[in-house]
Amino acid sequence: NNSYQLSSVPLQILFYVNGIYYIFYFLASLGMIVYKSEAFSYPDDFLAPDLALLFIMAILEVLRLYLGSKGNLTEEEAPLGLSLVITVGSVILSVYFLVWQTYVLKADVIINAVLLFTYGLESVLKVVAIAAFVS
Amino acid sequence: PPETHAVARARTRSGPAPVTDVAKLCVCDLLVAECDVNCCCDPDCSAADFSLFTTCSVPLVTGDNHLCSQKAAIYSLDVEANPPERIFKLIDQVNPSVFCIHATNYKQALFFGSPEKPTPENFDQLLEQFGSATFSAEPDSWNMNTDAQSPSDANETYRYEYGVPIQTVDAFLRLPSPVVSSWCSDANPAAFLVNQATKCIRSVSVEECGNVQAVSMLFYINSSILAVNITVKSIVVQSLNGMRTLLNGSDVLRLPMILDELCINIVLGVSYHITYTDTGEIIEAAASFVLGAINKEALSIQQNFEISFTQVNTKPVPLSGNPGYVVGLPIRAGFRPQGYPFPVEINTNKYGQLTILQSTSNQDCLEIQGARTPILFGYNIISGCKLRITAAMKCQPLTQTLLDLLKGQSFPEYVASFGNSEAQDVLDWVPITHLHTSEQRIYNTFQSSCRIPVSLEIEVKWTKYGSLVNPQARIVNVTATTTTATLKQLPSGRERTIPITSSVVFTDVSSPAEPGYKAWPTINAKLPFDFFFPFI
Repeated sequence: NNSYQLSSVPLQILFYVNGIYYIFYFLASLGMIVYKSEAFSYPDDFLAPDLALLFIMAILEVLRLYLGSKGNLTEEEAPLGLSLVITVGSVILSVYFLVWQTYVLKADVIINAVLLFTYGLESVLKVVAIAAFVS
Repeated sequence: PPETHAVARARTRSGPAPVTDVAKLCVCDLLVAECDVNCCCDPDCSAADFSLFTTCSVPLVTGDNHLCSQKAAIYSLDVEANPPERIFKLIDQVNPSVFCIHATNYKQALFFGSPEKPTPENFDQLLEQFGSATFSAEPDSWNMNTDAQSPSDANETYRYEYGVPIQTVDAFLRLPSPVVSSWCSDANPAAFLVNQATKCIRSVSVEECGNVQAVSMLFYINSSILAVNITVKSIVVQSLNGMRTLLNGSDVLRLPMILDELCINIVLGVSYHITYTDTGEIIEAAASFVLGAINKEALSIQQNFEISFTQVNTKPVPLSGNPGYVVGLPIRAGFRPQGYPFPVEINTNKYGQLTILQSTSNQDCLEIQGARTPILFGYNIISGCKLRITAAMKCQPLTQTLLDLLKGQSFPEYVASFGNSEAQDVLDWVPITHLHTSEQRIYNTFQSSCRIPVSLEIEVKWTKYGSLVNPQARIVNVTATTTTATLKQLPSGRERTIPITSSVVFTDVSSPAEPGYKAWPTINAKLPFDFFFPFI
């Protein structure tokens, strides 16, 4: 009966893994920002935008994963499409943390690269799922 | 050099740009235009200099360690090669930690911040931000046209900071000094506000009288310090036997020349006096010369050089401490002219106020010719000489000679209590107490009533004064004890040698410090006067 089930299992697995990874990513980023503010000169003008963007990214991520999961499970393309749009925002934020942050540590580069790879994979799977739902 | 002038002008407006290229950074390069010893990164060192180094004092110059990858300059000496040569390698150093900084988007992240230089425009804002009750603004010196009045190229004023070599038209103002050996080297630049006195040996002979540049007056006043010419303040001529006479007219340039098999007018000493303003510009430079003569046997002469700086419109006051005496500075002493309350007169020479006999290699008292050394606070001195008494010596002149020898030409009456006592505060001066004791030893058991002074002991009692954490030295008592001995008449033909000694002892008579406590608070319990109304 797989022909009646259009929900993408790999996409769902990816959402689940993404959720766990993002928790780790958020805590790691926050911890590193605290470390940077102690070890280096991190004035408030630069610290505030970085922290704000991290929290915005967390909110967007929660929204994105919920919408994507819901859309995939109920086989509706609208939430999945919205999730794809939010993914674009998340990608931009991840690129910010990769390139335009005040201090980019090697660990930052690693976790952001993994996150971007995950986003890329998810986006492809979402497009395939939307295509499957629409048709 | 013209490029330094432009750089200097830029420097007065904003701080110097930070050097970030590790290949060009050298923290051991301290001497200007000279090679620093064991400094492998010094650009002034040649291959011959490197062959004399033993190690590299700065082996590694890197950027910030936190960066993931940074350039590092490694300096090392290859001692196996003959001659030893310096090896310079520029490598990329990698930080293996996962928390190394990959990139920063914050320019001042890894550098110290440069503070803003105050100008008339931003001064008020800086005052608001950083000012405090002690910040004082000078309305006269803040001229709104300061920037517009920047000096033109023709008449440049160069502002100096402490330790910066003084520039002349072609190079630096040179103060010859001994390097390694005692021979004079002309490569020592005079630094601004650094008072120096050097002496060194120069080789010169009568044949090369006119050829050696460094013994002619012209060599020292030829170069003008930028806009200021060096004027000749005074010339003292020293004869072959050491007698010095001051010349009347000092504007004539006296060049070395040969006269009667002697070479005269050779420079034995130069003393530069530089006058500067409070903004660091040199406005006057004067040189005082000591010219001497050499004869055929002389192969070298000793030259003395000194340079001193005075601020314009000020008279330097030689203090020996502020307020307490500083160990090593001379004791200030003076006389009080007759009548009170005239202030104490002090000798202008700060090292000549209170002196003691100086022991010389010639131990005969009568031939020392009055060599004296200043008494420095805290330094006990004992000195002496041997007096050879013959039968022909008369008592009274001998007593007087010995007194002059022990006490010097002008033994002061008062000693300053503090290092900065003013001459007008008579109460800050301690009178010198004179004591006389006599020795029990009798030379030659014959009757005679001749007493000669044989020792002078100056005891300076000082105490610690002021706060417990920063006590100041204060002289409370000075006692000069002269010990006399009986001198018996010697039979003719015999002679006797007796030792004459003088000493200075500093004794600390401070009482132990007592910490002071505030008074205990008292209970002030008084009833109001109408408390028992209406009974009382």
